Amino acid sequence: MELAGNMYEVDEHGFLQETAKWNEEIARAYAVKEGVNELTADHWTAINYLRNYYLQNGICPMIRRLIKDTGFTLKKLYDLFPNGPAHSACKWAGVPKPTGCV
Amino acid sequence: MPKRLKLNDISKADDRQLTGLDINEIIPLPPPYDQSNKPGFKKLTEDQKERLVSNLDGFVGLALPRPKKAEEEKKYIGQFVAGLKKLLSKENNWTFLQPLLLSLDYCERCQTCNENCHIYLASGKNDLYRPTYRSEIFRRLVNKYKKSGGRWLSTLDGNDIELNWSTVSRLYELAYRCNLCRRCAQACPMSVDNALITREIRKLFSQELGWAPKELHENGTVLQLNVGSPTGLRPNVVKDNMAFLEEEFSEATGRTIKTPWDKEGAEVLIIHSAGDILSFPESVIAFGILCDAAGIDWTLASEIPGYDGVNYGLFYDDIQLARIATRHAQIAKKLKVKKIVIGECGHEHKALMTVADRLLTGDLNIPRESAMTFLENIVFSGKIKFDPSKNDFPVTLHDPCNIVRNLGIVEPQRHILRYLCPQFREMTPHGVDNYCCGGGGGLSVMNNVNFTDWKVNISGRMKFKQVLEAFADQPGPEIKKYVCAPCLNCKLQFRDIFEHYGAREKSGIIVGGLAELIVNAMVDIKKPFIAFND
Repeated sequence: MELAGNMYEVDEHGFLQETAKWNEEIARAYAVKEGVNELTADHWTAINYLRNYYLQNGICPMIRRLIKDTGFTLKKLYDLFPNGPAHSACKWAGVPKPTGCV
Repeated sequence: MPKRLKLNDISKADDRQLTGLDINEIIPLPPPYDQSNKPGFKKLTEDQKERLVSNLDGFVGLALPRPKKAEEEKKYIGQFVAGLKKLLSKENNWTFLQPLLLSLDYCERCQTCNENCHIYLASGKNDLYRPTYRSEIFRRLVNKYKKSGGRWLSTLDGNDIELNWSTVSRLYELAYRCNLCRRCAQACPMSVDNALITREIRKLFSQELGWAPKELHENGTVLQLNVGSPTGLRPNVVKDNMAFLEEEFSEATGRTIKTPWDKEGAEVLIIHSAGDILSFPESVIAFGILCDAAGIDWTLASEIPGYDGVNYGLFYDDIQLARIATRHAQIAKKLKVKKIVIGECGHEHKALMTVADRLLTGDLNIPRESAMTFLENIVFSGKIKFDPSKNDFPVTLHDPCNIVRNLGIVEPQRHILRYLCPQFREMTPHGVDNYCCGGGGGLSVMNNVNFTDWKVNISGRMKFKQVLEAFADQPGPEIKKYVCAPCLNCKLQFRDIFEHYGAREKSGIIVGGLAELIVNAMVDIKKPFIAFND
């Protein structure tokens, strides 16, 4: 799939397969595809939190953690990310959706 | 697209879709969901059709890449035949050979099983989803290749199924259009087990061709054996997450909640499905609260994979099944616990309580108990005070196939619900006659391409209908309703179904487990434990 002018490996739902290749332009490109043309500071707070948590722990944080550590309510997260934290935010942050029974 | 198929359609070499589903031909749902026919099923893109094998029913779960050369196809066909022979040999299939042969040999072709299959019925009786369609094709291939003279004889009596690339690739995908729920086996007058046949087909593909859904193998059993859980939860992360939840819930309930980890000599080792920690944390916290309140000496295990009771090997591969089951028992043995309590996970029950029986011998034969009886004993022990009026909302019970139909554990959970839920009502049918949620057999965690669409529209359809009918007395969204599903895979399937149809917004329905429903009725926990408005 093409993102920000380059081709990247994605899965069938458009999630970046090689998380190390992520950059901020990719996040912007994903956002535009979902109708969000500008990423605010709040967006970056959530995206950076997700990415850092994933790189440190090998999985995405549970929703409760995301809410507590960013200070955003679930409603706010859905306002920022049209398809929600799992589908949109994780995708824009270039981290894979959790596997297994979640 | 045709609903009536011939058996040898499976080998139609044009490699195009065999059949398809029309949203208007599948069984209708009660209002207001009878109006949800837009936008129909998520279609495959042209790009997907080019890259992936999509020759079955318009849905793709396995994302098998289309082979580029004819040699590749030939190789797979050869491997299929080799695998078939191994499946029928005692040395290679010491685990399931006898029931497989009995199921292959004794089918009377009465078709009773089909009328009992939730997938076949929901599809509007599309032949592709008859349990007998898949099984009979496999049976004829077995007879063709196992019996000497079989190949020649099969062409004589017109029973021939040609084994080509289309047959092999379609059979692979078709093996994942079954929830392994065994309702067919229960209905069969001869006890032929079509679910077992399906599962053995999957095993053939996995153990001989190396074909298995990524979600079950690479990101499933392999990941679990490597890091501890198919969720990717590592030991330090799971402990950290539990500590976080303990803090949150201690604050919310006013109780000190602390998980004992790796306590040697404890009475009980609870093995949860680790995904609950991430997706349904009330469940694992509830177990902790109940154990402490009832004075039970319990522990969790942090050694890989002792904190995750799933065993996807049950669905597709004996080797992985054996590895994981053995590890679970070894961890329990190392901790010197008196028994293992199996958490709210259906297939964990089946794997650890019966299927692994022949592996867990000697000092690995640690007593295993279901969470159902464990919770029942706690609730009726007299050690905790309950106020059922705290659960005064419509509740219905989903029967996880692996716990209820497969193990016969029917009453304990009902005993609890009749006591603690004044508005408890059964679905129809229920108990061992229940319909699968549509997520069984590993399908719950498979979401590649457009497979989720098939699950929420087809395999989950009978169940959704049952849920709506169970709540038909108060259908509006203003009355909050609870589907009690004591199995994580089932809860995930319900979550997908409810999200797809907007069931929370339109009907006020949520899904959860049993333990949190019990805690919600505790007198000592002032604030409601279950949140309807998340």
